[in-house]
Amino acid sequence: MEDTLFWSRLQFAFTITYHYLFPQLTMGLAWFIVYFKWRHLRTGQEHFGNAARFWARIFGINFAVGVVTGIPMEFQFGTNWAGFSNFSGNVIGQTLAMEGMFAFFLESAMIGAMVWGEKRLGPRNHFIATVGVALGSWLSGYFILATNAFMQHPVGYTTAPDGTLRLDHISDFLLNPWAIVMFLHNQCAALVTGSFVVTAVGALYVLRGKYPEQASLFLKTGTLAGLIVCLLVAFPTGDRQAKMVARYQPVSLAGMEGLFHGGPNAELEIIGQPNATTGRIDNPIYLPNALSILAFGYSRAKVQGLDAFPADERPPNIELLFYSFHIMAGLGTLFILLMALANLQRWRGRLEKSRGLLWALMLAFPFPYIATTAGWMTAELGRQPWLIFKLFRTSQGVSDVVNGGDVLFTLMGFTGLYFILGVLYLFMIGREIAHGPAAAKLEVSYG
Amino acid sequence: MVEIWYAILSFMLVMFLVLEGFDFGAGMLQFVVGKTEAERRLVIAAIGPLWSWHEVWLVGFGATLLVAFPAIFTASFAGFYLALFLLLWCLILRGVSIEVSGHIADPMWRAAWHFIFVVSNILLAILIGAALGNVLRGVPLEANGKFALAFFSNFSPYGRVGILDWYTVSVAVFILVTLAAHGANGLVQKTSGPVHDRSLRLAVTLWKIVAALLVVITVESWQVRPEMFHGMIHQPFGWLGLAGIFGGLVFVFTGLQGNREFLAVLGSSAFIAGLMIAGAAGVFPVMLRSTIAPENSLSAFQAAAAGNGLTAALIWWPVASILAVTYMVFIYRHYRGKVEPEQDAQQPY
Repeated sequence: MEDTLFWSRLQFAFTITYHYLFPQLTMGLAWFIVYFKWRHLRTGQEHFGNAARFWARIFGINFAVGVVTGIPMEFQFGTNWAGFSNFSGNVIGQTLAMEGMFAFFLESAMIGAMVWGEKRLGPRNHFIATVGVALGSWLSGYFILATNAFMQHPVGYTTAPDGTLRLDHISDFLLNPWAIVMFLHNQCAALVTGSFVVTAVGALYVLRGKYPEQASLFLKTGTLAGLIVCLLVAFPTGDRQAKMVARYQPVSLAGMEGLFHGGPNAELEIIGQPNATTGRIDNPIYLPNALSILAFGYSRAKVQGLDAFPADERPPNIELLFYSFHIMAGLGTLFILLMALANLQRWRGRLEKSRGLLWALMLAFPFPYIATTAGWMTAELGRQPWLIFKLFRTSQGVSDVVNGGDVLFTLMGFTGLYFILGVLYLFMIGREIAHGPAAAKLEVSYG
Repeated sequence: MVEIWYAILSFMLVMFLVLEGFDFGAGMLQFVVGKTEAERRLVIAAIGPLWSWHEVWLVGFGATLLVAFPAIFTASFAGFYLALFLLLWCLILRGVSIEVSGHIADPMWRAAWHFIFVVSNILLAILIGAALGNVLRGVPLEANGKFALAFFSNFSPYGRVGILDWYTVSVAVFILVTLAAHGANGLVQKTSGPVHDRSLRLAVTLWKIVAALLVVITVESWQVRPEMFHGMIHQPFGWLGLAGIFGGLVFVFTGLQGNREFLAVLGSSAFIAGLMIAGAAGVFPVMLRSTIAPENSLSAFQAAAAGNGLTAALIWWPVASILAVTYMVFIYRHYRGKVEPEQDAQQPY
């Protein structure tokens, strides 16, 4: 049993982390493509059309990997987490099924036509298909976040006589305040990833002196959208998210901040290493009072430390939780600085001549992926040891008929398959970027 | 309420098997009907831009099963652990091969991905067939509503059963041939030239094998689960299913002989739908039959979710399905008739 739990957790963590590398770009990039297509429809200028087609090809590859790595997630609810599905399937099954029925049908109908069907659909319908894909991907994001929000902050349910959960009010469940805040925060983060990727390709083309029209377009839209969403991801969405954690999951907040002992005037650690043995942060650099102010708005506010909670209700992995949160927040701050600098240079008309900055923008694109991954690790580690916060423990959720060896077998299978998939993905995307947007033009004009 | 959800789930499974069944079937025949690279591209093009829309019926089926019958979802997903992951890996490889094979105009690239595509389609048909066989035969369900199934045991369909035994393998072979035949019918309708001619010849042969295997499967099922046939003839849906099976076969053979391509596709779709409907009606209300003790079997009434969940879902499910079909129609209008890959906006390089 212990083995099954360990390997099942590792398998879910690995497959979901890997999976989410792709949808975040899907959701972030989709609206850039919609924008380029819309400009193309409006102005008729071919470089907008080429830009849209170029990103649509990249989008198609990214989308395909996102879809195929997404299906195992739904299956694992049944295969590895039968206890959890049995306990809460009546509630979370709703959003999982709605995701399939409302979002996947929309995305899957439109995606093929969006990537390959411009000639058949004509400009107007092709634009509609592109918007459909974008809407579908965001809708899918909402349903999944509503599912996760139930695990973080369960609402809208009752407990049946047999101890399992039942849906009570679907509107309460769907409009969970946690879901709304997390959705806004998460979608802004996805747009950050999209902006950084668009910017990086623009910077690459400028540095190489290739495709000047699209290079400028990518740099301009990427950095402008990038600055806006980098600000939004921190404030108000990130701030609201943190306040919600402070209110509903104080124990997670204590873990995120490495606050072993609570009290007023709580300090905010900028950097340091949590030491669970001594219950202190080693080598700390901190802002006095800042945690009290951030969480509750005034410096004398009492913030609960880990010591305020029973040992079996504290997140077991404080170290990783602390690092995840600090990596996310630290990178988010650096993103704002980088994008602000890029916009300043662009405003002065010197962005395309600032080679150092262009290099930085080109190489920065992996970091939003790290930040979103760290953000999700914060949310999921902070929730432990609960699968549904305060209702159901992770250890209760695992399938008891499956043995650890079976799970290790499938985990190894996923590791091998996903390694190949990753190499293939990088090869295909690299090839598209090397091939460039000018070549993506439509050979035959609309009939 | 329970009957409605049982019907909805059966409907979703029918949609999946008819639509994606064509994709699987056409895909596994790719090397047989397509000799040159251009001809093989034609097969992928015939599967069309909506293959992932077809696959969503399976994803939707899984999630809807969780909403409506959580006990069945959890018991079967955990019980079929290894088989389901094999299915997943095949779905991953197949999806990737469709997407990436078209990107690069290189013979080795194409050959490799087409090979993966064909093999994963064959394996998928076998796995889905075996899964259906397991549901018909029953699983070693304990009194606590759980089971764990070895991949194979001594291949006996009685006693200590495995996922693969003589009965489930027979069903798998039957489904494999049926989907291949269904795919051939679809290719006849969607293509022209040599692919069309080869598909037509192949379809006639395959459907004769399907008709012969139908007799074998009926006899075997009679041995493994006699009460299914009793249930079938006492339900109006059972008769509907039987009408689909036999009417479908008639349509297929008249369609193929008279060059009425659409009629043949209609026939093979009705045949597959008929099989599923007859089976679903025959076993109702038992959803998971226990091979250990009949009283352990899970019926739809025992497994159904309680509370407001099903009422809420009954409101949003029809809305979502109508929207889903609307999207499909919006796209499909542009892809009617014979396929022309050169009409694709983006060409490989």
